[in-house]
Amino acid sequence: MAEKVTFKVFRFNPEKDKKPYYQDFEVEIRKPGMMVLDGLNQIRWEMDGTLAFRRSCREGVCGSDGLNINGVNMLSCITHISDLKPPIVIQPLPSLPVVKDLVVDLTDFMNKFFLVKPYLITYSPPPDKERLQTPEERKKLDGLYECILCACCSTSCPSYWADPEYLGPSALLNSARFILDSRDEGADERFEIINDRHGVWRCHTILNCIEACPKLLNPTEAIGELKKILIKKKF
Amino acid sequence: MKVFQPQKRYRLHPGYIAWILHRVTGVLLGLYLFLHIWVIHYLAQGEQAFNKVMGIVQSPLFLVLEVGLLGTVVYHGINGLRVILVDYGNMAKREIFRKAVYVTFALSAAIIIAGGIPMLMHAFSH
Ligand code: SF4
Repeated sequence: MAEKVTFKVFRFNPEKDKKPYYQDFEVEIRKPGMMVLDGLNQIRWEMDGTLAFRRSCREGVCGSDGLNINGVNMLSCITHISDLKPPIVIQPLPSLPVVKDLVVDLTDFMNKFFLVKPYLITYSPPPDKERLQTPEERKKLDGLYECILCACCSTSCPSYWADPEYLGPSALLNSARFILDSRDEGADERFEIINDRHGVWRCHTILNCIEACPKLLNPTEAIGELKKILIKKKF
Repeated sequence: MKVFQPQKRYRLHPGYIAWILHRVTGVLLGLYLFLHIWVIHYLAQGEQAFNKVMGIVQSPLFLVLEVGLLGTVVYHGINGLRVILVDYGNMAKREIFRKAVYVTFALSAAIIIAGGIPMLMHAFSH
């Protein structure tokens, strides 16, 4: 008999349920190295086709399957079942409205991302070819450009839970990605947005975002960099 | 669409615990400030009144509570320095952010024990 692992899955169907509940599924371990996503697929394909969750690339690149697994936010597709203590409790990302089961409404998260103007802003006339950058200048963007917008960091943050207006670690890291880009000329307009009590100053360095980020980025450090620049501008 | 409180709450990572303790000690320090001002205000009511209230706050019970005050001040101070270094130093770096929290806990504990033992001995020698 194949080994089985219990998945305790958050269920909520707004058309039927008044309150959410947790349903147990026995996931069969059929091959070594099975990911949590493999388990969820097994549930949906073989046990209960009504289970709703997001996934796409299944290799930690698309950022659609951010979930709260055993109390920590992570991507189900790159998390080994064998690394977790059963029963494996699977919940939607905290503090976001639930659409159905594990699917959350990311509208607010994405709106905050767009608020920081996550695109290149330039005022100087474009050069003949592309806008150049030295390897050193390019290196400053390492650890920032890799964000896949999975929302694991922002929804792990108690400040984000408590303050509905807080931009959150993800949006702030993405603003740093452009503010620190030597080719970008839109720093001032971004600072106007993030130099606010609902911007960088809402970060209380709780560090949950560093623990959560599946791409091993460091939102707290990025927010610290922004705070340093803002302080220097003041004096 | 509704937001639901998860049944299994978010895991208490070291930094998360450090922050909760920072908040709690912050509130306690605020309350202590009021107590302190209340005690000091007896100065204005003459020597006798002040001596009386000093008699109360120097009772063994208060001397034991004072160890709690030491712990509150020491932890809040040391963790506060760490928080400053997370923002303006480099203690947010992946390699050290957790270690910095453990060092904060260890350093606070060491100072609280080192200061608390003589304070307790003094309290019980009354
Ligand atoms: S910073 Fe990391 S955790 Fe946050 S959205 Fe980007 S990839 Fe996800």
